[in-house]
Amino acid sequence: MPEMSIVFNDINKSQGVFTRRAFLMGGLTALGLFALGGRLAHLEIVQGGKYSRMSAGNQFNFRVIPPPRGDILDRNGKLIAGNRPSFRVMIETNEIKDINSTLDQVSYILPQTVTSRRRILRDINQNQRSVPTLIAGDLSWEDFSKVSLYANDIPGLVADMDQVRAYYYGGAFSHVVGYVSKINAKDLEAEEKKPEADLNLLHHPSFRMGKQGIEKALDTVLRGTAGGKKMEVDANGRAVGEDSEGSRAPVAGQDVTLTLDADLQQRAVDVFGSDSGAAVMMDVHTGEVLCMSSTPGFDPNLFVSGIPSKTFKLLNEYERRPLLDKALSGTYPPGSTFKCLVAMAALEAGIPETTRHTCGGVFPYGNHVFRCDGVHGNLDMHGAIVTSCDVYFYNMAVAVGPDKIAEVARKFGLGQIFDIGIDGQKPGVVPDKAWKKEYFEKRGRPAEGRWWPGDTPSIGIGQGFTNINCLQNCVSVTRIANGRKVVMPHLIKAIGGKAVNYPEFADLSVAPSHIDMVRAAMADVVTSGTAARSGKLDLGPIVMAGKTGTAQSHTYKDGARATLHLDWERRDHAWFIAFAPADKPKYAMSVIVQHGGWGASSAAPKAREIMRLALIKDPEVRQRIVGPVKDTFDPAALKAAEAEAATHPVDIPVAPTETTAGATPPPA
Amino acid sequence: MVQSALSRPGQRERYDSKIGQIDWVFVTLLAMLAGIGALIQYSVGGMSWEPWAYSQLRNFALFLAMALVLAVVDLRFWLWLAYPSYAVSLILLILVELIGDTRMGAQRWLEFGPISFQPSEFMKLAIVLALARFYHERKPEDANWSFWLLVPALMIAVPSALVMHQPDLGTGMLILLTGGAVMVLAGLNWKAIAGAGLMGAISVPLAYFFVLHDYQRNRILTFLNPEGDPSGEGYHILQSKIAMGSGGLLGKGLGLGSQSQLNFLPEKHTDFIMAAVSEELGMVGGAMVLLLSGTIIIMALRMAALSHSHFGRLAASGAIATYACYVLINGAMVMGLFPVVGIPMPLVSYGGSVMLTVMAGFGLILGVKVHRYQELPKQSSMLANLME
Repeated sequence: MPEMSIVFNDINKSQGVFTRRAFLMGGLTALGLFALGGRLAHLEIVQGGKYSRMSAGNQFNFRVIPPPRGDILDRNGKLIAGNRPSFRVMIETNEIKDINSTLDQVSYILPQTVTSRRRILRDINQNQRSVPTLIAGDLSWEDFSKVSLYANDIPGLVADMDQVRAYYYGGAFSHVVGYVSKINAKDLEAEEKKPEADLNLLHHPSFRMGKQGIEKALDTVLRGTAGGKKMEVDANGRAVGEDSEGSRAPVAGQDVTLTLDADLQQRAVDVFGSDSGAAVMMDVHTGEVLCMSSTPGFDPNLFVSGIPSKTFKLLNEYERRPLLDKALSGTYPPGSTFKCLVAMAALEAGIPETTRHTCGGVFPYGNHVFRCDGVHGNLDMHGAIVTSCDVYFYNMAVAVGPDKIAEVARKFGLGQIFDIGIDGQKPGVVPDKAWKKEYFEKRGRPAEGRWWPGDTPSIGIGQGFTNINCLQNCVSVTRIANGRKVVMPHLIKAIGGKAVNYPEFADLSVAPSHIDMVRAAMADVVTSGTAARSGKLDLGPIVMAGKTGTAQSHTYKDGARATLHLDWERRDHAWFIAFAPADKPKYAMSVIVQHGGWGASSAAPKAREIMRLALIKDPEVRQRIVGPVKDTFDPAALKAAEAEAATHPVDIPVAPTETTAGATPPPA
Repeated sequence: MVQSALSRPGQRERYDSKIGQIDWVFVTLLAMLAGIGALIQYSVGGMSWEPWAYSQLRNFALFLAMALVLAVVDLRFWLWLAYPSYAVSLILLILVELIGDTRMGAQRWLEFGPISFQPSEFMKLAIVLALARFYHERKPEDANWSFWLLVPALMIAVPSALVMHQPDLGTGMLILLTGGAVMVLAGLNWKAIAGAGLMGAISVPLAYFFVLHDYQRNRILTFLNPEGDPSGEGYHILQSKIAMGSGGLLGKGLGLGSQSQLNFLPEKHTDFIMAAVSEELGMVGGAMVLLLSGTIIIMALRMAALSHSHFGRLAASGAIATYACYVLINGAMVMGLFPVVGIPMPLVSYGGSVMLTVMAGFGLILGVKVHRYQELPKQSSMLANLME
């Protein structure tokens, strides 16, 4: 700028400094901007792939769609366990700043949530932040509409429809079918370790896991495979769209068809009423379990959404033990029902059925006097079974010995755990000498392990150490009724529509004539024996064969007889085993009424009602019955029949007495 | 110069000829930058003029008109305004300290009836004017190294300390940097510059431990390790980098940036708008903003250098230094090269008060160019000059 230099020297000077410095500053700024451009290129071009993936991870969220759980059906396709829709409202905790004020708003819409506030807050604390918490399920249509209307105004509130497991027969199948409930920490840990585990599904709030019975045993079959929705979400996690290409549909769990008949199962529950016990019925030829009930049961629906602890406590502490599966886990002395097998053992041991003993009401043995509930006189084996004479079978037990009886009992299924697909079976005890030795050795008291002669007579009448479950007793009567095959019980008929194949039954190595003898005696038990008053089917030519049993549940004082006038928990267990039709067996069953009193008065009438329905439902049997048949059941009539039978005490235990003097017999 | 030789006496003072002297290329660049900003605000507002794009464009139009008016204002007016505006800004800053309104945890606002404003914004321009006048009236030697330099040092230190105490670290730093730039441009001794740089380097860790608030400390920690807490303090930086990185060369397209459209990117229309630009318009868009800004800065420096008055040179270059600081700090912050401080990208980011400040600055710069031949007396009675 030449013209300036003439005018002001100092300004000229400062202008020179300024121009240089301005140039420098411009250069530095340009350098800075250039560096920013380089950084931009580095982020967008060099690291672009990485950030694009992170962006997609932000943008998309894989939402799990739980698979519908497979249905559980009875043998005729009736739905036992299925899924029903449920309107529910949930809360997305990570979108909420003040949970209490949100819950206040919710309780304004749904007043019923006020009482469950504590439960909701606890669940919110326990759940992962990304998992929504259920506020209320099973909303009515009106409530659901109200919530849906307001859900948009209350951040974090989600109202949608869920599939909830439903058990349509309430408590009838509670033990055998079991139930599902929320997965607990222990199960979760175990499930997560499995290689095929789907963590998204396991952590899903509506995921339920089978906890008992078929639901537990076939959990993975019923569960299915989760699907997923690829959702576009905003920064708050709210869905703004769906990418249908990235989504996949869930695969429903497979349906399971059971061999059970829902009508029979329901009938068993009905006839038991408030009585405690179990009933098992099997098809004599196929081994299919048609009925397996344990009463009182519980409503499995209670467990699906989480049972209130108060209710659980009541169930758990009730003396009739609703939570216990009495058909499989409860073991009881078989009482007189065991006499069929003792007779079988005697025949197999070569003792002819014509062998006679005289019953004078007592059987002195060693320093004990074992007693009978009556004075039956001179009897052969047939008569002894029909009248259920104890003295005769004391004699048989002593003659045959415990080892042979145990061998035959095991042949007929006692002491065994059967592979029916569900767990919970207790083996019970079929005592022999080896068992007693081992039993006491295990407990460190080998001296007590010796088999005393006095241990043997009780075995003959199904008392003493003998202990079995209801399924085992049913298997034994099934094998007697079949007579030719080692019938095994089955519970699962088909999975996913495909019939399950079971191996052929092995041949039963018992002489047919011996089988026929026991069956004939069992038929007479109902026509003229201990069950004559309570075992009649009233179906014309179709009759039932059976055996009553009353098992001592506690020790009486010397010589006392069982009576019905005791506190419930001190009464005897009542048994009845049966098969029908007696001439051409198709169905076999076993009923135990825990602390029911006497087999003839408490168990047989119940068995009769269940068996009647099975026979009426069978078209082949139905043809043989002439005239109209009532297939309903009258609880009042049943109660009356039980009371009437109770006025005629038969087949009841009597305590042995100890004698100070008396010869000790030689060891058996 | 050719023009000056040809022009008749008094012609330069005529407004129509002044308007002809306005650098319209420069104005066009400003409008392009504001246009890019409005475009992105239209996009992140959900492809809608509301709530941001429309008012941003309206503000720009308003402030551009103001800048053009300022461009034809006589430089003597600016010179006269320098000290009073500084004094008023300082008084207002002190008032903020005493009775200011606290918003979002920081005391920055003054309210006069319905009007509320941040005095720190005024200070950005006032400090430039005041320093320019100071150096204009001193001998060039004094600018190098003298006892007199205590005055500009205090003039910078007091307001920047007040603003930082609000606490508004970004604006305080901006005032400090702008003032420092003016001192350097005026001819500060290199040794003094080096010494000040050294002092700054030492004071950063000291300030970190003894001066900064917890949230400011967290921002610095987060800046150093953004992945350490991706959902908390590191969120801004990480999401910003994801937005920019996922844009690629040409971007995801207007309205298609998932980061900005789905609210993953915080402050997408204000401080972090560069991330939204880079996501939707790609590297091309981001580079465009940097290129425009760079051109604006270089052109402004050239306009400053053309001025015949020392005041004009320093005022224009100081104003552009403020703008350059905005651009560089915001760019570095958005790209994860600098801690998150509340510094927007001028003209592109949404927001009226920053736009007002920088547009007033651009008006000054344009005015310095328009009046580049005007000589200003070193000592004068401003009022008397104006009366003339």
